Amino acid sequence: MTALFRLFNVTKNYGDRQVLNVEHLEIEAGHIYGILGPNGSGKTTLLRVISLLTLNDTGKLEVLGEHIHWAPTQLLRLRRQMAMVTQSSYMFEGSVFYNVAYGLKTRKTPEPEVKVKVQESLELLGMLDFINYPARKLSGGEKQKVAIARALAVNPKVLFLDEPTSNIDPSSSIEIESYIKYINEEKATTIILITHKLFQARKLAKQMFLMWDGHILEQGPTRDLFHDPRDPRTRKFLKGEY
Amino acid sequence: MDVIWQGLKEGFMLILSLDQELIQVTLLSLHVSLTALIIAGIIGIPAGAFLALKNFHGRRLILNITYTLMGLPPVLAGLIVFLFLSNRGPLGDFQLLFTPTAMIIAQVILGFPLVCGLTARAVMTQQQEVYDTSVMLGATRTQAILTLIRESRIGIIAALTTALGRLIAEVGAVMMVGGNIQGKTRVLTTSIVLETRMGHDSRALGIGIILLLLAFIIMLIILKLEKRSFKDDSTIQII
Ligand SMILES: Nc1ncnc2c1ncn2[C@@H]1O[C@H](COP(=O)(O)OP(=O)(O)OP(=O)(O)O)[C@@H](O)[C@H]1O
Ligand SMILES: [Mg+2]
Repeated sequence: MTALFRLFNVTKNYGDRQVLNVEHLEIEAGHIYGILGPNGSGKTTLLRVISLLTLNDTGKLEVLGEHIHWAPTQLLRLRRQMAMVTQSSYMFEGSVFYNVAYGLKTRKTPEPEVKVKVQESLELLGMLDFINYPARKLSGGEKQKVAIARALAVNPKVLFLDEPTSNIDPSSSIEIESYIKYINEEKATTIILITHKLFQARKLAKQMFLMWDGHILEQGPTRDLFHDPRDPRTRKFLKGEY
Repeated sequence: MDVIWQGLKEGFMLILSLDQELIQVTLLSLHVSLTALIIAGIIGIPAGAFLALKNFHGRRLILNITYTLMGLPPVLAGLIVFLFLSNRGPLGDFQLLFTPTAMIIAQVILGFPLVCGLTARAVMTQQQEVYDTSVMLGATRTQAILTLIRESRIGIIAALTTALGRLIAEVGAVMMVGGNIQGKTRVLTTSIVLETRMGHDSRALGIGIILLLLAFIIMLIILKLEKRSFKDDSTIQII
């Protein structure tokens, strides 16, 4: 099994503050990975580095089996196999349709196919009724649903989810969790999920990472991490005492 | 007070009479300023986006120069073009002085910094997440940059509106390089100057009213276009 992502001694500094320092990390194809950690511990930064949105300062980075040399053609080729739902779920000015069609249009997908796929993805998230609605006027949770539909529309090999259900009501959350499972199982999409909902992480992720001050404090199978954490800080974090 | 009433009356009479000369002057005003606006837009919008997005040595300086030139006095722009186009100037051979082309050139020089500077401002206020969202959805760099420009379009339309307002209303540059030649380079603003000098105050005022109406109509059209592209333009409600 080849690793989809492989990091060695990857660091990222903002000013003289180190916000990421990952000695070694491997992510394999086909699983759901969960990333936990306190606010500001570097979860989003890690996601941005492996999705090639942020340049790391030092270290070695391999994405989808390739050593990254940051040439635009390489970035484009690799990014087109990934999709991301960001923490803010930024919506472009325009309709929900425009937003969900965006990724397909960048790939010059034929118009009829775009229509079909946009409808399919919105349907899946229960947002089809909003197809002509101005995306900026949606509620926070609706925006997140559209952002998920938008990412699914391009049928990515790897899907990054940065707190995708933070604004979503409990019953929709459960639905979204089942889609996450579904696309992982049916489409073999690798999913990397940042979440603050321990229950969600436990339910979905096979493997977990716990981030702390830019480091990966602990990693392993979800069961082990929850039942038998090695680091006392992990134990505290999971009990909500941090 | 009388002059003003007289002027208002004469203005409307002028419009109603469809005065041949006045129509020709109005059309030339429109032709010169709109052509200059289009050219300023075609080069100013990409230039502004470039200044906003590309980090290079001297960028700050160029931006500051651009902002300064946004206040370039029209007569000064006119003078510079005049010197270039006059018989002894480097472009004298083209014989462009006192033609509408010269007026367009001068107005491009006036309009370009406005369009470029305000476009740069509009694009710079966009957040990193616009670019990130678009490349993570598979956009090429060019596509992502076009998206950034698209997301800035309220600001860019404002830039074009501001520039057009400045161009249609300015007199210094067109007077300097056009010369206000009857039937050839006379535009609304230079007509006003001329009529005032000749003591035809109310006619001057009448032409002024036409100019104002024209500006109003153009703004209405732009606002209409703006509305069309912003069905969901968020209006901030202050309660
Ligand atoms: N562009 C940036 N410039 C400066 N500092 C940054 C930048 N991006 C992130 N940081 C800092 O890096 C640290 C890690 O940020 P990151 O967004 O990765 O945290 P996180 O684990 O995702 O937190 P949260 O749970 O709040 O989303 C934070 O302290 C943040 O202030
Ligand atoms: Mg985060």
